[in-house]
Order: sequence, then C-alpha cells, then structure tokens
Amino acid sequence: MHRFLQRATGSFAPKTAKPLTGERTFHIVLGLMRTSVRFPARTSLEQILDGLASDRAFQEMVTRWERIPARPARYAAFPEWLDGRISAALRRRGIEELYSHQAAALESTHAGRHTVVVTPTASGKTLCYNLPVLDAIAKDPTARALYIFPTKALAQDQLAELERVSTDIDIELKTYTYDGDTPPAVRAAIRSAGHVVITNPDMLHTGILPHHTKWVKLFENLRYVVLDELHTYRGVFGSHVANVLRRLRRICEFYGSHPVFICTSATIANPEELARRQIEDDVIVIDESGAPRGEKVLVFVNPPVVNRNLGIRQSALLTGRDIAATLLASGVQTISFARSRVQTELLLTYLRARFPQPQWPSDLVRGYRGGYLPSERRAIERGLRDGSIRGVVSTNALELGIDIGALQAAVLVGYPGTVASTWQQMGRAGRREDLSAAFLVATSSPTDQYVVQHPEYVLDRSPEAGLVNPDNLHVLVQHLKCAAFEIPFGQRERFGTEDTPGVLAYLGEQGILHESQGKYHWSDQAFPAEAMSLRTATNDNVVIIDTTGTAAMRIGSEYQAGSARVIGEVDRFAAQVLLHEQAIYLHQSKQFQVERLDWENAKAYVREVKVDYYTDAGLAVRIRVIDEFEQRVGQRGGVSASGNRERGSFELAHGEVLVSTLATVYKKLTMFTHENVGWGKIFLPEQELQTTSFWCALAERAVAGWPKERVEVALAGLGNLLHGLAPLFLMCDPHDLGLAVEVRSPHTERPTIYLFDMTPGGIGFSERLFKSAGSLFDRAREHLQACGCGTGCPACVGPAYALGADVRESVAHLLSLA
Amino acid sequence: MNDLRARITRIVERDRARAARSSAGEPRAEPSSERLRPAGHGRDALRELRAGAASGERQGSAAAVGLNESRGAPYEVRERRIAVDDLGLEIVGRGACDPLLLAHLGLKGEPPSAWGDVLFLDTETTGLAGGTGTYVFLIGLAHIADGELILRQHLLRDLGAESEFVEHLKAQLDPFRACASYNGKTFDLPLLRTRFVMAIRSELTVDESHLDLLHPARRLWKDRFGSTTLRQLEESVLDDGRVADIPGSQIPDAYFHYLRRGDDAIIAPVLEHNARDVISLVRIADHVARAVLAARTGRAPSHAPAAYALARVFERTGELDAAFACYESAYYDGDNVLRIKLALLYARALERRGDVVRVVRMLETLLDLGLGSPRWREQAEARIRRLTRRKTWQAALATAS
Repeated sequence: MHRFLQRATGSFAPKTAKPLTGERTFHIVLGLMRTSVRFPARTSLEQILDGLASDRAFQEMVTRWERIPARPARYAAFPEWLDGRISAALRRRGIEELYSHQAAALESTHAGRHTVVVTPTASGKTLCYNLPVLDAIAKDPTARALYIFPTKALAQDQLAELERVSTDIDIELKTYTYDGDTPPAVRAAIRSAGHVVITNPDMLHTGILPHHTKWVKLFENLRYVVLDELHTYRGVFGSHVANVLRRLRRICEFYGSHPVFICTSATIANPEELARRQIEDDVIVIDESGAPRGEKVLVFVNPPVVNRNLGIRQSALLTGRDIAATLLASGVQTISFARSRVQTELLLTYLRARFPQPQWPSDLVRGYRGGYLPSERRAIERGLRDGSIRGVVSTNALELGIDIGALQAAVLVGYPGTVASTWQQMGRAGRREDLSAAFLVATSSPTDQYVVQHPEYVLDRSPEAGLVNPDNLHVLVQHLKCAAFEIPFGQRERFGTEDTPGVLAYLGEQGILHESQGKYHWSDQAFPAEAMSLRTATNDNVVIIDTTGTAAMRIGSEYQAGSARVIGEVDRFAAQVLLHEQAIYLHQSKQFQVERLDWENAKAYVREVKVDYYTDAGLAVRIRVIDEFEQRVGQRGGVSASGNRERGSFELAHGEVLVSTLATVYKKLTMFTHENVGWGKIFLPEQELQTTSFWCALAERAVAGWPKERVEVALAGLGNLLHGLAPLFLMCDPHDLGLAVEVRSPHTERPTIYLFDMTPGGIGFSERLFKSAGSLFDRAREHLQACGCGTGCPACVGPAYALGADVRESVAHLLSLA
Repeated sequence: MNDLRARITRIVERDRARAARSSAGEPRAEPSSERLRPAGHGRDALRELRAGAASGERQGSAAAVGLNESRGAPYEVRERRIAVDDLGLEIVGRGACDPLLLAHLGLKGEPPSAWGDVLFLDTETTGLAGGTGTYVFLIGLAHIADGELILRQHLLRDLGAESEFVEHLKAQLDPFRACASYNGKTFDLPLLRTRFVMAIRSELTVDESHLDLLHPARRLWKDRFGSTTLRQLEESVLDDGRVADIPGSQIPDAYFHYLRRGDDAIIAPVLEHNARDVISLVRIADHVARAVLAARTGRAPSHAPAAYALARVFERTGELDAAFACYESAYYDGDNVLRIKLALLYARALERRGDVVRVVRMLETLLDLGLGSPRWREQAEARIRRLTRRKTWQAALATAS
C-alpha cells in the first residue's frame, strides 16, 4: 500500500467539512435485518486532491497536473420556427434557453445542411438532433427519422430518452429500436408506424436495406439520419459503414427522399473530412461548445520504474487501484476504466478486497462490461445515476454516451488507445458546476509511455484522424453486390469508385449480375448481405482455446459466464509466430503451450504450463512493391536546419505491396538470460496479403561505414519505434499496422522500413503516414530522448538484450539525420 | 378416384406413343398456338400436362421458334384448361363456398362467396432468401370458371422488363380479392408484394382473403408422412408422384441460364414444375375439404393424429359434433401418448354430451395404467373428483326425489 494512500484515508477522516454530495446513508439488507452503514471518512474531492498534491511519493509519479478552469455557459434563444409545443415542454423541464452549439446545430439542420456536432461529453449533444427531428414530426406526422448508433446498448439508452421527451410533448411520436433483439411480432408495426427508428449499422446492412420495400413509409418520408459517435466509424468498420450509407442514400433516392444527416463526434483532427467521406456531401462543423463546465483536474501518472533495462514499471493496475480506492473510501463517486475484460475483472476484484463487507456496502463497486446481462447493466446505470452505486469498473463499454449521469472522478488504467477515447473516458467525470478529477495511469507500453511523458499530446488539439477508405475494393465490391441486390444498377451509375461500370461489367461476366435493358440486375440465389459482417476485415482470426481446465478464466466475478475456455484471439498473421505448435503463448502473464494448431478452422488449443523458457519464431517476410503511388525525399519537419547537412537521408513513399510471410523455425530461449536451449521447425503455409504500405529507405551515406549488423540493428530499432508511435496518429490498434524491415530492399535497393496496413487492400493508414512522416519522426526523436532507459527498452526501440547493445544509439543517429 | 387414375394412366400411355411417333417425324401443332391456346378440351389439356415431362425437350425446342416469333414481348402467357371432372375435384369448384369449410382450408380474412373468386397461385423465384433482389419470374394463376380450371402461367423473359411484367400481373390479380397458396403467406405473397413495390410502387390486394393450405395439410398429414411438401403429398395423398421434375433448388440457376441463352428448352421443365404445383394445390385443397366433410358426417380421418388435429379445428369453428367424432376416433385409434394428449379435451367433449360415466371410466383407466406426467395426473384426478362429486350429488338428488 502506498504512503500517499494511507495519508489520504487517514488524515482526512475527522474533517467532514462540506461534503460534496451531502450525507448519504446506505441501506443493506442482511437477511431480514436492516442495517445502516455510514462512510467512515467523508472527504471532499478538493481535499483529496490537496492531499495528493502535497504527497511527495505521489508527486514523483505525476508527469502533469493540469487544472482546467471552469467555463460559463453560452446561451442562445430557442429559434422562432421551433414548434411551440416543444419549447413549452423544454421550459417545463427547466430549459429556458439552448446552449449556443445546440442553437447553431438547429439552424444548420433547419436550413437543410448536413451537420457534424463536435463537442465534449455531456454537453447536450442529443438535443442537437432530437430537436430538429421532434420539430419535423410535430409539424408533419408523416416525417420519419433514422438513428444509427454504433452499439445496441446506446440505442436502448436513446430510446428511453426519446420516450421521456415525447411523453412531455403533446405530439404523437412512435420510437422503436430495430435490431437483432426486436421480436418478429412487432417488426411489421415498426416498419410502417415508427416515426423514429433506432438501429445500428449491422442491422441496417442485413435487416433493413435489403428489405427496403417493407419500409416504404420510412424511406419515402425520411427527413433526418442521425449518425451518433461518428468517430467510431473509422478503419475497416468505418469503411464498411460508409458503403452502407451509400446504399442507404441510393434507396432514399429511389423513394424520392433527401434526408439531412446529423452527426455527432468526439474531438478528432478531421471531423469534417470523416463526415464528408461518410456522407459524401458538404457538411457544417459545429465545434464550439456552449455548455458550461466545472473546474477539472487532470493528472497524468507514470508508475515508477522497477526494472530499468527491461523497461518494466510498477503495475498500472495496482497504482490505479490505489487511486480509485482512495477516492472511493472518501465517498467520491468514481469510474475506473481498464483496457480489457480481464483487467476489468482484476481491478474489480482488487477493489472489492479493499472494501470488505460488512463494513462496506456490498455493491459499493460494480463491474460493467459487454457480457453482462442487459438488465444487469440497466440496473448499474440506474444505480450510478441515482448515486446508490459509488464506484464502477468498466471496459470502454461505458465510454460512449450511455447515460450514467456525471461522476466526480475517473481513473483510467492504461492509455485508452486514442485521444478521443481518453477525453470521452475522462469526460465521464465532470459536472456542469462542481470540481471533478481524472487520472490517467500509464502502463509500460510505448504508446502509454509516450503519452504520459508528453501530456500535451492529449491536452492540445487532437492530432488523430479518423480514417476510412470506402473505396477499398475488397469492401466496396461486397457492398456493390448488396446495392445491386437492393436496386438494379444503371450502367452509368456511380457507386463510390469511378470505375463502377468496370466492376459492374466484371460482376456481369461472373454471372452474379445480369445486364438487361441498360441495367444490371442481381442474378444469384444468394443473399449477399448475409455473407459479410461489417465488423471484420476479410482475414479471420485464430481463436485460442484453453484446454487446461475450467479454472483459467474464473476471475472473481459473479458474472463470469460458466467455464469460458476461449482466452483470446490473434489474427492469422500474428498466429504464425505466436501460436505455432509447441509455442509458448503468454496470456495475462501465464504461460500456455500450444498443443495443436488447427490452421484450417483457425483454432489453437493451448494448455497452461510452467516452463523457464519462451519461444521466438523466425518469420521470413518478403515485400514486393506492386505500385508506388507517391514518393518524396524526407526533410526535417519545418526546421530547415539541414542547410549544412546533406539533404534527403530518407526516401519516403507509399504504394501497393504484396506481403508474404512464412514462419520457418522457432527457438527456445531461457527467461532472463535469453540463452538458446533448443529449436523446432514450423509447418505452416505461406501467408499472402495484398495491401498498401508506407516505406522509408535510408540513403547509403546515412549508414556509411557501418557494419551490416549495425545497420540491421538500427533498422529494427527504428522500425520498432515508428511502429510503436504510428498508432498515435492513426486512431488504430497497433495490430492494425504491420512492420517489416529489409536491409536491402529489392525495390528501393537500400535499407528500408515498411509499415503496412494489415487490412487487405488497405484502409488509408499508409497514405496518412506518408503525409505526416515529418511529425512522426519528430515524435520519435522526442520520445527516444525522453525515454529513461539506458540502451533501449520495449517502450522505445526494443530491448537491447535482444537487438544489440548499440541499438538506441544507432537509432538516435539515424533520427538525427531524418 | 380409381377411375381417374386409370384414365390418367391411359392418357399418358397414349401420349407417350404419340410422342414417339412425332419424334419420328409426324407434324405437331403450332407452338405459338399452343402457348396461347384458347379453351382447349379439358382432357387434352390434362394429357398435355401429364406428358409434359416426357415431351419437354421437343416442346422446348419448338418453343424456341416461338421466341423468335414473339421477340419484343418481355413476358409470355401460357394457358391450360382442365375440366373439373378430369381433376377429380369433388368439393372445390363445385357448389357454393361454405365459410366453415374455408376455415378448415386455412382461411385468413373474409370468406369469398364462390369458388370462382379464389385465385390459386404459385410463384417461381430467383432465390429462397427473400429481399429485394429476389425476383418472381414465373407465376401460375388458376381459377375455376364454368366447370373448368383455367391455369395461366406468366413468365418474365427479361429481367429488364420487370415493370411491364408486374403491371401485367397487377391486371391479372386485381379482379381477385382472395387467393389460395401453399405456404404463400410466408413465401410467395411477401415476395410478390416486394416486386409490386419495386417495379410499380403498388400494393397487393389479392390476399385480402388467403387460403394457405400448408397448415391444414400439416394438420392432416404431417404426422403420417413425415413431411408435407407438395411433392410428398402428391405421392402420398394424391397417389400421383412426379417422375421427371426439376428440383426446386435448381430452378433459380435454370432461370439465370435461360436469361443468358434465351432457349425455351431450358425453362420448359420449370414451367412444367410450376403447372404441377398449381394443379396439385387445387387437388390438395379438395382432399382437405373431403376430409373435413367426411368428419362432419362422422367419418373421422383414420389416422389418429390427423383426427385429433381436425378435432381441434372443429372446436374452433364451433362444430362440436364433428369435433367429438374426431376426438373419439383419435382416442380409439391412437397410441397412449396421443391418448394422454387428448384425453382431457375428449373428456370435455364427452361431458358436454352428458356422458360423465365414460369420462370417469376413461380417466381412471389411464390413471390405472400409470400414464401421463404428474401434472397431467393431477388434472385428471381433479376432473374425476369434480365429476364424481356432481354425480353423487345428482344421485342423491335423484334418490331424494
């Protein structure tokens, strides 16, 4: 236990001056006996923060203590055209005026412009789309609206909200969710009578669009399409969604409607670009929030280094637990976010152990994640809103706009992966008037370390861009088929790509479409939408199945469903090296040995073992450049300090490549000493991936006079560093990006580093990397300089013991030229 | 019935012989006249139908000539007329429409007033999945007029001309407000409705009243024959199985092939298949009706589960005597499992007739045999208690007076 924690809980105990939430008594039913439990220490958040600020042990971990001042509200009057019944209802609910951004959104949508609202969590975004929709329906009962939410849970929440609103207002408003859970019996009624249909992209794709003739009323009268959480529609998923929207617009066209799109998004660098790519039309961006904000303290915490060479720090989970426990013990309503389900369960278990019964109420801290029953989740959300639940540990499931009210404090264990997510999770704590606090506790991973050492990355304007590539042929062709199924294609009709006629002609040759009288008709028995999922790329994952026994996943939760035996999944590319037979697979710091790899059915059967070695598979990666799109010579970003230096040590390019990988042999290496104690062959077929790649080639003079080994080491180190930092720009998972280095590339004929899209066909990462290579190198340079390790660690260029002692120095040299 | 079968056999024999002759060079009727033949003689029409499979190829190639002749017409209509007598119909198409009987035929909606108001239909489609990309390319429509079944098949020859085709279908369907189908409620009609919206943005009214024969057929024959596909029923109920028939799963591909090649020989088996479907639909409806009428006169189906299923419907339509007859028959012919299933219902029917003694005896027998779930036994015992109480009370009253 930390010192700061003892102090925090101990010293404030007697002072119960001005508690933030007022005295609250908890009632626990123990059998038939009813007991009241009072919190032993009730301390205001202000006092806890003061305590932490003056705690030296804690301050040593803090890399940034940011106070964001309160901001008053900016109001605007209800627009005159707004239906009187709606403004009256709002006034009854105590809303006399709108926030400025809400009024702006209303005006813009009223003028028929597609609109994107980019404002923080809890700034009243839902009114930005609910009001135009309600107004349209109030004035014209035949008007219809379609709400698209990324998840079912959000849809449910929105339904409740709209139902509350419509009972207030004297207009007939039928609102329904239409998703996989909708009972068949009520579907017909929804299709014809629902004013507002709430759904998700997947249901739109398989359940609504291919059956549009059953939705004539909706499509003929569709006035608004609401796309909530636009920033989640990025990457492969976003590219699919963009195509689903193309199909939606096509169908609207068929029925003669021209809906206005209203999107909301978290703060990203390119909301307008992302919205334009999704809607394929001009959009108005509204990003000045008029909502008031209470004072907020953001604390960046970096747990102390435990092993300098290995770059291992004290567990973020334990540090996070201590902070959360301090807050909870003082009655501060706190939400903790962990990065995975397992981590969520662990954190929950740890926290529960801190607050034993019967001194503490049994539901002081609850877990929340996908996999819990919907009714359970609703109960937790309710408990958080009314304050009966004081603490919750969640995966990012609670990050999106599920209504849980505003909590006082948030503890983020691990960087959530994107700035947008970070703000959304931090925004879960934050009230309109009071003080709130958010803590970000970094793990040892490169991205976490970069962020915690450069908090301005989060605090300044977001550098992240939501990227989609709707014209990725793999994605597009599948949707073009669905679109042809929905409505026959005209010969000259465009669907995204300019080469639509070419694709149509091809599908015609294949007999999938039939051309007749200037139109291409679907001519296949299959139902194309059913054959594809929006959530996955074309390459499938290998599922890891633990055969040890049933105990492996039972981690202290009453909600754990039976004996779950699937412990994870890995994409096919990584599976070659991680899950080949006899491999030691590390999962949650446990060792598993792969007993059988069923490559065809994508299943790896593992058993828990205790051995003193790990395995390291050799992977032969070959990259063949098929087409080079753009090429330029790298320069130091902005600074023209290269006056006396030779320009162009790096040559940057991006293009289309064919990546082929073959796992050949694996080595058994002892833990800690990394001695080779055996090897084996791997028998797996070669994998091929046609995708897009960014690459940079070193000029000969950059490594002039270096032995080949040093070039190899430097290249590998630089590759690791760039690969670790690139996700910071791309809003992607590190696994979405592949890395390969070649000491002499057949294409560039020089030492070359490739960073490629792991999605067949590419999703736009490579182009973005090419364009922002300057800042990527700047970031890399900064990060390397700031890294506390001596010779190289997993948080920067990679461990020196594995690569070579001079790795850090060599990479630093290369970067100084970049 | 036997007479009909014998006649059909004779007709087929004769037709085969003729087919053999004609392939040896004997001139045949004009294909185009065949396609749009006015009311032919019923017997001929039926013969032609039966012989379809045997002479399909020849017909097809002949029809290919017709394609050239009628180039430009995006759809074609084939008509066949068959005398009701030749189809062996006993009830359907004869006399007035009895609303109670229609209820047994799966009617949803207002009962039509005459058999002639019912349009029998069956579609062939480019897939089974439904949705807007599944086309209806062939529909067989049949109705009964002047003692004849008039079957018209409408074939879409070009997907690009779907709107004209659907416009044409609308003209065919609009006069009717009632239809009969086999599983049309979940398959044919939704698809047709989709096509109406897609092609001409119009609504469908032909199924305001709908006789879907699938459910009555299931009630009567599912237990006995395992499956109740039309194919199965033709074999088991009509005793007239198909010999050369294109499997339903091959029909979409056959059509796509036809679209590309334009060869009528490719589509001929599909037309034949569809014609058989419609005619079987009519004949199956008649068989269902016969079973119902027989039960009304006390002759319940000999197969116990069918009798039981029928009894339930009779209860719904309020025909209690018929329901009783069916229960009774099912109880005596059925096995113990079925007996337990229907005993309480049968008991109620007996009770309604005042036969309390039989109820008690029956239930006691079943209880003595140790049959039924605990819950069932509880209910049966309660029933016995209630009835014997009333019985002793009645007996006491009788002795007192």
